[in-house]
Amino acid sequence: MRKAFPIILSLAGVMLLLIACGKKQAGSGATGTGAKLVVAVMPKLKGIDYFNAVERGAREAAQELGDIDLTHDGPTEGKVDQQIPFIESWTLQKVDVIAVACNDPDAISPALKRARDKGVHVITYDADANAEKSGREFFVNQATFEDIGRALVDEMASQAGEDAKVAIVSSSPTAPNQNAWIAVMKRYMAEKYPKMQIVTIQYPEEDQGRAFSMTQDILKTYPDVKGVFGLSSVAFPGAADAVRQAGKSGKVAVVGLSTPKSMKEFVKDGTVKTVILWNPVDLGYLTVYVAKAVAEGKLKPGATEFEAGRLGKVKVEGDQVLLGPPMKFTAENIDQYDF
Amino acid sequence: MTSERISPTRFVLWRQYGREMSVGVFLLLLLGYFGTTPGFLQTDNLRDILINAAPLVIAACGMTMVIIAGMIDISAGSALAVCAVVAGLTARSGASLPLVILMPMLAGAVIGAVNGWLVAFVRIPAIIVTLGMMSVLRGGIIWWTRGEWIGNLPPSFSAVGRGEIAGIPLPVWIAFGIVLATALLLARTPLGRHIYAVGGNPVAATRMGIPVRRVLWLVFTLHGMLLGLSALVYASRFSVIQSNAGAGFELLAISAVVVGGVNIFGGQGTVWGSAIAGLLLQVISTGLIFRRVSEYWAPSVQGALVLLAVVADALRTRRARP
Repeated sequence: MRKAFPIILSLAGVMLLLIACGKKQAGSGATGTGAKLVVAVMPKLKGIDYFNAVERGAREAAQELGDIDLTHDGPTEGKVDQQIPFIESWTLQKVDVIAVACNDPDAISPALKRARDKGVHVITYDADANAEKSGREFFVNQATFEDIGRALVDEMASQAGEDAKVAIVSSSPTAPNQNAWIAVMKRYMAEKYPKMQIVTIQYPEEDQGRAFSMTQDILKTYPDVKGVFGLSSVAFPGAADAVRQAGKSGKVAVVGLSTPKSMKEFVKDGTVKTVILWNPVDLGYLTVYVAKAVAEGKLKPGATEFEAGRLGKVKVEGDQVLLGPPMKFTAENIDQYDF
Repeated sequence: MTSERISPTRFVLWRQYGREMSVGVFLLLLLGYFGTTPGFLQTDNLRDILINAAPLVIAACGMTMVIIAGMIDISAGSALAVCAVVAGLTARSGASLPLVILMPMLAGAVIGAVNGWLVAFVRIPAIIVTLGMMSVLRGGIIWWTRGEWIGNLPPSFSAVGRGEIAGIPLPVWIAFGIVLATALLLARTPLGRHIYAVGGNPVAATRMGIPVRRVLWLVFTLHGMLLGLSALVYASRFSVIQSNAGAGFELLAISAVVVGGVNIFGGQGTVWGSAIAGLLLQVISTGLIFRRVSEYWAPSVQGALVLLAVVADALRTRRARP
C-alpha cells in the first residue's frame, strides 16, 4: 500500500502530462493549417453548473470567431494550488492567451507573471488576480458592485413600492462583496428612493437554516416590512422559503442574488418575481472575445469601448472590461437557463 | 447511582439536577424578558422557536452521550449536510416515507460507526478522527452534489418537517421523544451506566469488565443515527436543501451540551440539561432580533448570555458546597 501510493501518483502525473501534450499537438496541428490563436481558459473549478455555462459561452465565441483553438481545463476543486500547474504547463506549451478565474488573487500572481514574461498574454475573468503582481492585461468583470446594488434597489422599488420598509439578509458581517453591495444600496436608496428604509440587516453566515429562521423573526418583529433582500445564494432561498411558509408570498417581496436554478421553485410559485445575476454564458463569450483582441493588439489600455459580437459594444474602464448591467431572471425566461 | 436519582426529596432533586434547573430558570427569565416585546410570546412565535430548535435538540442528545463518554465529535455539522442530502435525494427518487426516514439515519449511523471504530478500535483520539471526518465529508458532499441544492422535493417529504399531530408540530414530538428515550437510556439501562463509567474513568471501567471499546463504538453509532434524524427534521422544513448545510452546527450542539451541564471531560451530566440549553440558544437568537439588538452586537450578546447562564450556575454550586 505504502509503496504503491507514490507510483500511482507519478502515473497520474504522467497521464496528466500526456493529456496536456495530446491537446497541445492537436493545437499545433491547427496552427499549421490556419494559424489559429490558442486560447486556454481556466475556471475556478470544473464540473459545476456555473462554470459549465461559462465554458459554453466561450465555445460559442470560439466557433463564431473561427480562428480560435480553445482549451478549457482546470482543477476539480476550487483551489489555487491546483490552478498553478495548469498555468505552468500552458506557459511551457506557449499558448497565445491564458484566461483565468482566480481562486486567490495573490497566490496565483507569480505563475501568471512568469507566463507574461515568456510572452503569453494573460487576462482574468470572474475573479481577478492581483493586477500589479501578475501583470495581467485585462480583467473581464461580470458586474460592478454599483450595477448590482442599483439593480437590486430598483427591483425592490418596483415590486414593494418606493416607500417600502425593507430588511436585508446578508452573508457574514465581514463578507466583502455583500458589504460593498450594501454600501451601494444604502447610498443609492438615499439618492433615488429617500422614503425607502432599511429596518434591519441580519447575518446568517452561509447557513440556510439561520437565513430561514432570521427571516421568520424579521417578519414577526417588523410586521410592516414590505420586502426582503437575500444577498447570497444561501440567504436568498432561505429568505424566500420563510416568506412562502409564513403565507406572505406576493405580500412581501423577496429580491436577491443567486443562480436561477436554485431559485426556480420560488419563481414558479410567485414568491420571488426576479432573480438578479449576470449571465455566465455571456461572461465566457466576452472573455474569449477579449482574449483574441488582446492577443492581436486591438484592445489596449486606454480603450473605453469594445465590440464583442452579439453583445455589441461593452464598456471598458481602466484595465477592466465590463459585461454590463446584471441580468434579470423571471418566470418567463428562467427555464432557459441551467446554471 | 440510579437509586439516588429517583429519591423523592426536593433537596436531592436540586443537588442532582441543579444545573439543569438553573439553566431552566434562566430560560424562563429570558422568556419573561423577551416576552415584554410585542409578539414574542404569541403561539406562532413560540411554535417557530420550538420547530427551529428541534434539529439542534435532537443532535444535542447524541452529542450528550458522546461527551459523557469522554469523547467529542466535531464532524457533526458535515455529517448533518451529508444526511440532509441523502434524505432529499431519497425523497426525490420517489421512495416511500419509511425509507426516506430510514436512509438519512442509516447514513448517519455509518458515519458514526466509522468514527467510533477509528476511535475505539484503532485508538486514534476522537478530536483527530472527527476533524479528519469533517473535511472528508465536507469535501465529499461538494464533489457529490457539485454544490447544487436539492430541489423538486415531493410534498410528502415536507410532512415530516411541517406536519403536526394533535396541534403540536411533528419536529417537536420527535425531539421530545428522542430526549425522553436518551434520558431513559442513560439513566435506566446497563449501556447508560457503562457510558457514564467509561467517561468517568476509562481505566476503572476496563477493570470492572465493561467492554469499553464496544461502548464507545455504540455511542458514536447511536449519535450518528440521531444526527441522521436531526438532518431529516432540519431538511424537511425547506423547499430546497442546501448541499452545504450545517456549517458551525457542531459548535452549537457542543455548546448546548456544555451549557446544559455535561462535564466536557466526561462522566457527568444529563440529556435534560442539553435539551433545555438547546432551546435556550434558539430563544436567545430569536429574542435578540425581536429586541432589535444591533446586528453587529448580536453574536457577542448571544455569547455573553450563554456565559451568564454558566456563571450563574457556578455561583450556585459554590454556595451549595459545604
